Amino acid sequence: MVNTSVKIGKLTLRNPVMTGSGTFGFGSEMSEALDLNALGACVVKSTSREPRLGNPTPRIVETSSGILNAIGLQNGGIDNFINEKLPFLREYDVPIIVNLVGYEVADYVYLAERLTEAGGVHALEINISCPNVKHGCDFAVDPKLTFELITALRKATDLTLITKLSPNVTDVVSVGRAAADAGSDALSLINTLLGTAIDIRKRKFRLANVTGGLSGPAIKPVALRMVWQVHQALPNIPLVGMGGIVTAHDAIEFLLAGATAIAVGTATFINPTAAIDVAAGIEKFLEEQGIEDVNELIGAVTR
Amino acid sequence: MPVSAQQYLVPVISNDEIIADHRVLTCYAPEVAALARPGHFLNVSVGDGYDPFLRKPFSIYTVNRERGEISMLFSIVGATTRGMAKKRAGDEIDLVGPLGGKIFQPDTREGATHVMVGGGYGVPPLVFLSKELLSAAASTNIEFIIGARHKDLLLCEAELAEAGVTARMTTEDGSHGMRGRVTDALRVVLAELGASPVTVYCCGPTPMMHAVSDLCLEVDVPCQLSVEVGMPCGMGVCMACVVDLADGRRVRCCTDGPVFAAGEVKW
Ligand SMILES: Cc1cc2nc3c(=O)[nH]c(=O)nc-3n(C[C@H](O)[C@H](O)[C@H](O)COP(=O)(O)OP(=O)(O)OC[C@H]3O[C@@H](n4cnc5c(N)ncnc54)[C@H](O)[C@@H]3O)c2cc1C
Ligand SMILES: Cc1cc2nc3c(=O)[nH]c(=O)nc-3n(C[C@H](O)[C@H](O)[C@H](O)COP(=O)(O)O)c2cc1C
Ligand code: FES
Repeated sequence: MVNTSVKIGKLTLRNPVMTGSGTFGFGSEMSEALDLNALGACVVKSTSREPRLGNPTPRIVETSSGILNAIGLQNGGIDNFINEKLPFLREYDVPIIVNLVGYEVADYVYLAERLTEAGGVHALEINISCPNVKHGCDFAVDPKLTFELITALRKATDLTLITKLSPNVTDVVSVGRAAADAGSDALSLINTLLGTAIDIRKRKFRLANVTGGLSGPAIKPVALRMVWQVHQALPNIPLVGMGGIVTAHDAIEFLLAGATAIAVGTATFINPTAAIDVAAGIEKFLEEQGIEDVNELIGAVTR
Repeated sequence: MPVSAQQYLVPVISNDEIIADHRVLTCYAPEVAALARPGHFLNVSVGDGYDPFLRKPFSIYTVNRERGEISMLFSIVGATTRGMAKKRAGDEIDLVGPLGGKIFQPDTREGATHVMVGGGYGVPPLVFLSKELLSAAASTNIEFIIGARHKDLLLCEAELAEAGVTARMTTEDGSHGMRGRVTDALRVVLAELGASPVTVYCCGPTPMMHAVSDLCLEVDVPCQLSVEVGMPCGMGVCMACVVDLADGRRVRCCTDGPVFAAGEVKW
């Protein structure tokens, strides 16, 4: 028996595989397709204080080996999450991680307090980096704002805090360091890369929002580089690596680059069981290679 | 509501052209056949690597539960449908499904007439619905209206005749059946049916469904529409397929629909 479990803050995950926020709904949608208990953790869609209607359509277009999305964080708001979604998730034996989004520090603090009180939530992922909404990037591009936000959240909750970093910045390490200094237990990266696509016959942008976030295999090399960079600079903070992971092979690259856990996002759209297939594939790799503990892989890449 | 997002790699049994650029692909998928109901769809991938990247939705057309077979009728428009067109008997095809939250709900009123209105690849799910209704009760009253621009584009007339349904055809250029649009034929049918219980089921291009929906609201006849929007995941998790409803809600077409009542949808 190989050990596949890893630790992220106070959480022990049975395997390193999480779901990517916004690509797995609220878990219930996928509960027939796969056993939620086979996941390392279930990360749900970004939740805000008030319900949000999101952006106009088209919201997703296909690009080379990926998609651009501009959903605009449509969600039912925190009351809806706690009353309608959380009771279902509490029935499972899997860590539940809620991704939070707000306009200002007070929104995030309010959400953190509500979710801490609610019970059944194991960690919070702080989305400071959604590129598809106005003001969505304010925190992520500025280490000082990130520090203030995470400091306030650290006071508000004992839950494990995972700060989700944006790749759309000049220096991802400085934002990561600010979050770590403010008490974030872990960092997750990357959120989507800002991009666009044009219909040449109509001479129009293909997304109603003009720009959107690129995800899927197209972004994997960029994500992998960023995970490695942040791990080099901040070797003591656990990282959740994501961006284009489709197979166990992809996931193991992220572990070697320094991620303690990984998330499978867009791949779920193509293969509904992608997340648990990746988890099974990692275990198989460990067995084949005679590696007793998945933790041996973390950051083990050499030049 | 969780969906049955199971993935299957199944063998193709046949793949025949029915009219220009339209084919029917039949495959052996007993699990899907057992679960499939009219209005359900399948998310198909013919992807070689990551191109095309996403799956594409196709309505279930025929189901033979004894033989474990299902088929899809598709129009060749892009990479997925071109890939589907190349499949030969014995090749495999990659499906996820059956998908769909709210599907067609047959009118259960005594003596109800079921009026199907279809255009293009919106016809196949209505053929499936008609056959299901007839196999539940052979005496079911079914009216079927099919519209197209030209007679060469009309689908499923023979298939329906075999099931004992005489479809009323409309063509915009009058090359077959009634000249005009499906709404012209629908007015005639609804007038014939008078005050007896009627439900209209519609699937086709969006402008057609909009017109049918308006007509049904005008004459106060219940109408179910299978709405088509782009569906990147089909499983309710990406939030890209949203439809605005008249009550202000913005819901997912894939799992909150794809079938909505006329009047429910804000066009
Ligand atoms: C619930 C549901 C059921 C459906 N059932 C059926 C069915 O039974 N049969 C059927 O044939 N279809 C059906 N469809 C439609 C089908 O899913 C789409 O036509 C699908 O996109 C075809 O995939 P494709 O890869 O072949 O074409 P795509 O590449 O997706 O192209 C589809 C259309 O978009 C255009 N297009 C492609 N790329 C671009 C671009 N970059 N910019 C602008 N336009 C572009 C193409 O010219 C074409 O007209 C259904 C759709 C839904 C939502
Ligand atoms: C349709 C879609 C919606 C997303 N919504 C969110 C979201 O609400 N909050 C968030 O933090 N990230 C969101 N993401 C980003 C993913 O969680 C992930 O960081 C990114 O897609 C990269 O991983 P992937 O390539 O495996 O998808 C979304 C991604 C997609 C494709
Ligand atoms: S297609 Fe993804 S939510 Fe409907």
